[in-house]
Amino acid sequence: MDITRRSFVKATAVALASAAAAGTMSGMVGCSSAGSGGAASGETTKTVGVCRFCGCGCGVIVEAKGGKIVSVTGDPDNQSNKGLNCVKGYYLASVLYGADRLTTPLIRDDKSTKGTDGGLREATWDEALDLVAGKMRETWKADKSRLAFWGSGQQPIVEGYCTAKFWKAGLLSNNIDPNARLCMASAVVGFMNVFQTDEPAGCYADIDETDTFVTWGANMAEAHPMLYSRVMARMTNGKGVKHYDLTTLWTRTSANATKVLVFKPGSDLAIANAIANYLVTNDLYDHAFVADHLQFKQGTENIGNATEDTYDASEIGSKVDAVTGITFEEYAARLAPYTLEYAEELSGVPAADIKELADEFADKSRRMLSLWTMGVNQHNRGTWMNHCIYNIHLLMGRYARPGDGAFSLTGQPTACGTAREVGTFSHRLPADLLVAQEAHRRYTEAIWNLPNGYLDAIKKPGFHTIKIFRELSKGNIDFLWSAHNNWAVSLPNLTRFLGRGDKKGVMDAFICVSEVYPTLSTQYADVVLPAAMWVEREGQFGNAERRTAVFEKAAIDPPGEAKWDLWMLMEIAHRVLDGEQIGGEDAFDVLFGEWYDKQARDFKGDQREISRSVWEEYRTFSNPSLNPDAEAINKEAKLKMENKQLAPYDLYIENHGLTWPVREVDGQWLPTKWRFCDGKQEDGFDEYGVEMYGKHDLAGGVSFYKSAGAKPSVVFRPWEPPAELPDAEYPFVFCTGRLLEHWHTGSMSRRVAELDRALPEALLDMNPDDCASLGVSDGDMVRLTSRFGTCDIKVSTAGRTRPPAGLVFAPFFAEETLINLVVQDTYCPLSKEPDYKKTCVRIEKI
Amino acid sequence: MSLRSVVAACAAGVVAAKAALDVALPEPALLHPPGAQHGGKFAAQCVKCGKCIEACPYQALHAAPLDAGAKAGTPVIDARAQACRLCADFPCVAACPTGALAPVAAREDVRMGTAVINRDLCLSYKAMRCEVCYRACPLIDEAIYINYGAREGDSIHAVFAPVVVEDKCVGCGLCVERCVVGEPECAIRIEPATQRRAREQQGAQAGGGSGQGAHEGGGPGKGAHAGDGPGKGA
Repeated sequence: MDITRRSFVKATAVALASAAAAGTMSGMVGCSSAGSGGAASGETTKTVGVCRFCGCGCGVIVEAKGGKIVSVTGDPDNQSNKGLNCVKGYYLASVLYGADRLTTPLIRDDKSTKGTDGGLREATWDEALDLVAGKMRETWKADKSRLAFWGSGQQPIVEGYCTAKFWKAGLLSNNIDPNARLCMASAVVGFMNVFQTDEPAGCYADIDETDTFVTWGANMAEAHPMLYSRVMARMTNGKGVKHYDLTTLWTRTSANATKVLVFKPGSDLAIANAIANYLVTNDLYDHAFVADHLQFKQGTENIGNATEDTYDASEIGSKVDAVTGITFEEYAARLAPYTLEYAEELSGVPAADIKELADEFADKSRRMLSLWTMGVNQHNRGTWMNHCIYNIHLLMGRYARPGDGAFSLTGQPTACGTAREVGTFSHRLPADLLVAQEAHRRYTEAIWNLPNGYLDAIKKPGFHTIKIFRELSKGNIDFLWSAHNNWAVSLPNLTRFLGRGDKKGVMDAFICVSEVYPTLSTQYADVVLPAAMWVEREGQFGNAERRTAVFEKAAIDPPGEAKWDLWMLMEIAHRVLDGEQIGGEDAFDVLFGEWYDKQARDFKGDQREISRSVWEEYRTFSNPSLNPDAEAINKEAKLKMENKQLAPYDLYIENHGLTWPVREVDGQWLPTKWRFCDGKQEDGFDEYGVEMYGKHDLAGGVSFYKSAGAKPSVVFRPWEPPAELPDAEYPFVFCTGRLLEHWHTGSMSRRVAELDRALPEALLDMNPDDCASLGVSDGDMVRLTSRFGTCDIKVSTAGRTRPPAGLVFAPFFAEETLINLVVQDTYCPLSKEPDYKKTCVRIEKI
Repeated sequence: MSLRSVVAACAAGVVAAKAALDVALPEPALLHPPGAQHGGKFAAQCVKCGKCIEACPYQALHAAPLDAGAKAGTPVIDARAQACRLCADFPCVAACPTGALAPVAAREDVRMGTAVINRDLCLSYKAMRCEVCYRACPLIDEAIYINYGAREGDSIHAVFAPVVVEDKCVGCGLCVERCVVGEPECAIRIEPATQRRAREQQGAQAGGGSGQGAHEGGGPGKGAHAGDGPGKGA
């Protein structure tokens, strides 16, 4: 990379100075040369972007000169990060310029070289595309259940939309799932079960207004750096602001908490139920809110654990989604066993501390904000734990109100925008629609211009992520395409999935990997397709607070022959669909002909025009009035699709992102900060949603118009133990996660020299007492062994995290350590999201 | 900063000090391993045998170059390249045949030097979420803590300012090794114990304070020690 730190700093200073001189950065919009490639001249161009890394969605300004990025700086006009970044975002420009960028298609001729550094040779795009499309078509024609696409919460929205359309309507296959299954699925099923609509009602501004934070299984200080800066600003600037941290190990987020409740793994369910029980038993709950807004349910219990491949189809496995209505009194009776003392017994947290937190929830003079991430979601009862948090907030009327809410944080930049909103899941269609619902299929057919009933072929959901890879490992998947992810590092139970045992599946299957750098996943690929990265192309992300933002193509080109993912998709799609018809017309042209000319092998416009046009179609899902057939179905089936209303494409660029639903008011498009909360749209409330489908003057000033019967569900969910408990053979609980310096599998952040320097290796954080009893010291190498596999890792007692005795922690970014060889692939039976937080292990000094 | 430049800077400093003050020549400001004795004892007892250098499992120790004068050949650490990892059993000390490296009871007792943050270069002081030095510190929350302050003109972000506690910092230099800022120089450096002592003595002779000013205790905003240390409420 030829940008020195000095020139980078200088460029940053210039950028900030020019911004200050102009007073605003919005004047930059439109000055990019999007779609036209690199600037040949020495002119500096500025474009608006979003950080490539986490779900915070910090805005950035990208400066390019002479075909290279010369600076990436925080966007001062972005109302969330206000020009700031974490250290990853600060060095963001460098992620494009790693020395080993993939610049040409690669083909593996000899499958026996899989899992090694070698075996890939350079190829032309034609050869690679013909090979991939040929294998895909061959598999598709022979047995559709044997092909799969594994996508991502990093796949930009427009591409995710087209991929889902190709898979669902083109191939009539539901074997498409994103890596968001590994991080957000429990949150999604929680939202759908409770509210019948995905994603939080609140927004980041809740952080600035709340009086008490409650973090549940969330190390925000490291995993959501800039949001945690907002938490600390509120803690520092506000009067008497408190923070309760519920966690299985003391983290950097615990460091500033008012109180840290360290609980035994899995016992969070008992703590949450004890809080709800306390509020009900002592008559502290919000009666008016309960009467106006809530319905009560219970569901299937004693559901066991999804460790074996046979679980989903088992008798209990097939019943896990079932719920029945109960009365409030019955709900109270179900809670009754969860006394503070019982919760203490299960969790190890003193009853007095649980009572203190319950009293905090009961105090309506204060606003409360729960925040949670992977500790709740990557949980053998992840969906249930999401329920339990909502139960408390709903009982107290603390939801969808400014500063008073329950906010599920996301970890990827567009887990919300693409995986969830577009619906790149095996059971979904765009905009919260489900393949299993007839009206949802009809609505989708209307917008996709498909014959009536065409999508009935996909009414049965396909394989979820773990199912895809379990079937792959058994030799039941012949074709897999993965993009925007690094499955060979991020999946649990890699001992199984990388074929270190029975190698058959991963070695025999044809695997296509779209990537920007060599990874462990490309070592298992039969074909590697080199992709344009981040601002080398135009894209769109949707972050945790329902904020959709466009990152413009900067005035740079991808290196070598690397291509826009959407081009790859079009080139493969027209080959696979060659000669196929939908409703008597050419199948490819029905789906993509408006945007892509397959004869010319090119788009019918530049990237901005194509993105805008695809967006316009996608946007129809949430703007039914744009399509008369869709509008009729929306009305008849009461789909209320406007609840996620999206604005025209260019508005997102002009505004540096907007939070949906976005409402058109007198020719202006206004975002919504608090869904379901009645109030003026210009103040960020859901005025038009409530007007259209809800009611005014209900308790709390909210109206849950998208929920069935306009009433969210409080579902009683009991405590059930983790899938594994420590025993003599495997006496420790192994928890995994993310740390600030590196993002996910490190395929980007570890190529940034500064970040690699900052955190060069993955360490196993241990309790000093455990070290003493095992005779190991800080810096020693140990072997971790679980029922699933083994890895070697260096011990640390420095205290970055401080696990209690009996628990150890390591981050998953380091492929040379590959901790996921050890981690169980047991998943939440409802969401199918794996539990990465409590695999039982033994530890031996080596 | 390379070892060469450290040495060059130190040499220049020595010349300047010698010219300016007719005082005893301070020891050259090199970062020596744990247990290095002060007050000239180390220089007197070190026989430059290289056994500690061989013993270091991290290859953190090197022989000081010839231009280090009397210190040439003694073991030194270039923290930016490889910091001292404060091994629990101090193999360098164990290997020393002369006692130049005296036994150290615990890593907290090591006194190699003190970290000094350059606030003009430090990203954390610009309200970026970095704090790499803090999280890398083997004595996190003790030798370095975070002082949380308000950010001027921005009510929704805090400044996470790392602050070095001089009495606790042992000078291992892991913060220096890990700091993301490299240009024009690293945003944190280790002032070796000898240099610090010389500076403090000079300060005392000149009627100044304890040298506190160079280390700037407080951090931005309200200077209170925000972190009560580990385990609070756990």
